[in-house]
Amino acid sequence: MFSELFLPVLMVIFMLVVGGYAVAVLDRLVASALGTPQAGGIWLAPMARGAWLLTQHANATEAPDWRAWRLAPALYLALAAGGLAVVPWSASLVATDLVTSVVLWGSVEALATVVIFLHGWSANSLLALIGGYRYVALGLSYILISMFVLIGVALPAESLQFTQVVASQEGLWNVIRQPLGLPLFLIVGLGMTFWGPLNLADSTDLAGGTASEISGPPRLVWDMARATMLVAFSGVAATAFLGGWLGPWLPGPLWMSLKMLAVLSVLLLLGRLLPRLAPERCVTLMWVVLLPLSFIDLVWAGIGALL
Amino acid sequence: MELFALLIILIVALGAGLLLQWLPMRHQPRPNWSQRVPFLGGGTPDSHAWSRYHVRYYPMTLLLIAFEMEMMFMYPWAVVFVEKGMKAMMEMGMFLAILSVGIVYAWREGVFKWQ
Repeated sequence: MFSELFLPVLMVIFMLVVGGYAVAVLDRLVASALGTPQAGGIWLAPMARGAWLLTQHANATEAPDWRAWRLAPALYLALAAGGLAVVPWSASLVATDLVTSVVLWGSVEALATVVIFLHGWSANSLLALIGGYRYVALGLSYILISMFVLIGVALPAESLQFTQVVASQEGLWNVIRQPLGLPLFLIVGLGMTFWGPLNLADSTDLAGGTASEISGPPRLVWDMARATMLVAFSGVAATAFLGGWLGPWLPGPLWMSLKMLAVLSVLLLLGRLLPRLAPERCVTLMWVVLLPLSFIDLVWAGIGALL
Repeated sequence: MELFALLIILIVALGAGLLLQWLPMRHQPRPNWSQRVPFLGGGTPDSHAWSRYHVRYYPMTLLLIAFEMEMMFMYPWAVVFVEKGMKAMMEMGMFLAILSVGIVYAWREGVFKWQ
């Protein structure tokens, strides 16, 4: 009972806390390396901000959809937890080793669109609503790319289980075997957490978008959920393309953490370096350029699996 | 048991997200009405934000439905792909080719633009 039920729950909570903190620290490290001065110590600043948000008064609009407004950040956090639950740390150390974990991750991506739109909708404020509508256009465009790329890694594994996907990379990692896969998947990651160049939902040109009307504890949960979703995504990316726990000398979980940190650093660096894309161009870019590229990736993966 | 553990994880995370908001906020007074005006750069709202709104990318969402149906076939297809070999490859290739014609047609019709 303990090892089957409590251990997975404790594992995911641990990853949510440590992962969220790691993203906050890493983002500040990247920013200061690029020359943006950071107020306060890099290690303590995330905690100071968290404590400040916890004690800050929460904002309210005139007639919001109260229940949905409070539920949306919590639901996004729950989705991140669901994603982290299927990430394998070694052949046996997985919170929930579902046979259909790839399908579960696909549903997390699809439901993220619903939750982010709910967040923009429920404030009953124009800028938040526009952020929500914009995000739906992006979310419906990237989800196909993500699915084709993930089916590509499932082909050589002959399974929809992430542990099998890692086992199939014993000889050669998917990042080399399917060179188009990881770059396409990283774009999906930026879209899913609306980070950096694909931050269309909470962008500054909408004065904060879906988060323009929230402060205090709801903002704390929303920011935490975004950060932990980025961690969950980096876990899936490391599992699907970078060979998960595989590697010489070091133990599996350590390799996995190093690979996740590498993916996170790349994403946060891209987030700080690239300018935000115009939302009108995003849809055409995804459907006309990136989606056909993901078809090519799938055919490439298929031929590779048959040879 | 694995699905049950996943369910518990989802419920615990959802509960944590709600508690983190409810516990610090339960004794906070609501902001007064003048503070609760939605942010409109200083303007006053004439109506609800939830008024009718023309979503310009609406036809794109219809195109997505065609592909989403296809995804349902792809999950079982991925598992038996190596076993079935070239036959499975050709089948999915034909399927994708037909759907790609749909993308090209939609592109020509300007579905991906927001005019």
